Amino acid sequence: MALNKAEKIQLYRNLVRARAYDRLFAGLMTRGKLQGFYHRAEGGEAPGVGAFAFVREDDYVWPHFRGHAVPHMLSMGIDVRPFLAEHLGRKAGMCKGLAAYHPFSPENNLYGWCGSVGFLWHVTAGYAMAAKWNGKKQIVMASVGDGGTNRGLMHEALIVAKKWNLPVVWIVENNGLAIFVPNEDVYDVDIADIARGYGIKAEVIDGQDVLAVAEAAKEAVHRARDGKGPTFIECKTARFYEHDMGIPDLYRNVPRSKEEIEKLRERDPIVICRGKLLAEHILTEEMIEDIEEQAQFEVAEAEAFAEASPRPDPSLINPSTLYAD
Amino acid sequence: MSEIAFYQAMKDAISEEMDRDEKVYLIGEDVVGGVYPHTAGLIDKFGSDRIIDAPLAENLIVGSSIGAALAGYRPICDMMEADFILIAIDEISKAGQWRFMHGGVVQVPMVIIGGNGGYHGVANDHAKMVYGNLLHIPGIKIAVPSNAYDAKGLLKTAIRDNNPVIYFWHKDCFMDKGEVPDEEYTIPFGEARIVREGSDVTLVAVQKMVSMAEKVAQQLEGSISIEIIDPRTLIPLDMETILRSIEKTMRLVIVDEANARGGFASELSARVMEQGFDLLDAPVVRVCGLDYPIPGGFLETVVLPSEERIRAGIEEAMARNL
Repeated sequence: MALNKAEKIQLYRNLVRARAYDRLFAGLMTRGKLQGFYHRAEGGEAPGVGAFAFVREDDYVWPHFRGHAVPHMLSMGIDVRPFLAEHLGRKAGMCKGLAAYHPFSPENNLYGWCGSVGFLWHVTAGYAMAAKWNGKKQIVMASVGDGGTNRGLMHEALIVAKKWNLPVVWIVENNGLAIFVPNEDVYDVDIADIARGYGIKAEVIDGQDVLAVAEAAKEAVHRARDGKGPTFIECKTARFYEHDMGIPDLYRNVPRSKEEIEKLRERDPIVICRGKLLAEHILTEEMIEDIEEQAQFEVAEAEAFAEASPRPDPSLINPSTLYAD
Repeated sequence: MSEIAFYQAMKDAISEEMDRDEKVYLIGEDVVGGVYPHTAGLIDKFGSDRIIDAPLAENLIVGSSIGAALAGYRPICDMMEADFILIAIDEISKAGQWRFMHGGVVQVPMVIIGGNGGYHGVANDHAKMVYGNLLHIPGIKIAVPSNAYDAKGLLKTAIRDNNPVIYFWHKDCFMDKGEVPDEEYTIPFGEARIVREGSDVTLVAVQKMVSMAEKVAQQLEGSISIEIIDPRTLIPLDMETILRSIEKTMRLVIVDEANARGGFASELSARVMEQGFDLLDAPVVRVCGLDYPIPGGFLETVVLPSEERIRAGIEEAMARNL
């Protein structure tokens, strides 16, 4: 489904913002400030930015952990400053400092997250059941990495999504490697083929082209909203760094070479999008500079916001946090 | 009052709560046809949007319910056999952590029900008491009714609770009849029932063990005065009632059908050590299933608690004096 000029500019802007946040997070991790761990987004921002651009405020969402869901949240218009605060272990965090890295924004129907890879399948099927029963044309937008498609949970969710005609769009951010294990050691088919086998509309797209991701996602969102059921989109994307900061960057047991990474960088989603929008005369060099400058300003401001917040109060660990009345 | 079977009490509770709140729905394994009769016929009243046969996929049943619960619905997950609950233990663990991990803001109101218990010779995969496995999980509640009255009152409370509740019905109590009020009632969680008053020894018994303990108490009447307490919920646990009883009897026997290691009996025993050590005149005695898989057929009775073993446990508690 075609994109208009404003949408294209916003997609480019969000890619640049996502990268700025990724570099900020990586720097904070290196300086020992970020709590927990960090899975860098660089190179793999386009699926999150592109797919989550067309969700309505009342749609249910589950973002993938790549870039710790910042690309996805930015795309939805969620203020990520409280997420950064959370990641620094602060009181102003999205989860009040209890989760370290869970994206959570109930006002945007992002009802939380968990750290088990592939846990999204059933929860998002449940969201979709609720969306269908609510009768308000809500949909579910969810994304997962290629590793998260290995679990049996996916198959169970695909069964009911098709049979119950659930309004859900599943995005697979396939960067080719589940930590060190390459796709080809797991599948002899595209992951989308599996969904197709269940009768679900599924496609494979270029996950480095944010415009292609957005077009596919926009159409899938419309299909779901119109009661036409689930869509499964496999985005072939890339990872410019190791799976998570501090572990080696291996392909099986062999370090990925500089040449390999350089080759991946030739298909940098920001470069691809910028090239297209310049060619279409939608972006100018001046706008590009402006967007970059604004992104740098934004992340600096976010860091200041998060750093200003105190550590959480230990009294938060009490029965009323654990149990609802 | 009417005399109805345990399963009918459960069915009435589900039906009444579904009438009361349109957000309540039932999803599970063979709930439309009702492979166990507590869901049979509900489809005619509530239709296929609210009485849902899931594919044979326990993780889906529980996991989708987390999503629907976060989105404002109140699922009841019927897992058929309690043993199958363990398949979804990761989902249950997540359901328990969800509110806490997200700052205590959201809630996950859902009930998971399953039939547990042995004494039918069907072997380990259809006979376990799995609440011990779940006791370790923060953020959930566990209900263990032993009779029709509690079955209804606790299930209604479970459905109205805004947290994940695991509710066990016992396959050997399921057809037992009991007096149930015709008018509306619920039973609060965390309130044990004193089944029988006594002064020599306290027996805390769970589910089928309650009636077994009652039989033993009757047999020993005149020689040993036995107080029997049914905790009714394991999380929360009514320590106050249990400690008050030990204050009187100074002896405690815990009768739990589950195997002993790391289970409810161990937990209760440790808590009594911490909170009531000075009250005791004898070490706490656990009468539990043995730490073996439950055999099928005749050898089941070797592993599961029996009246004889309960009696022996009581005698052991009576024989010791600290």
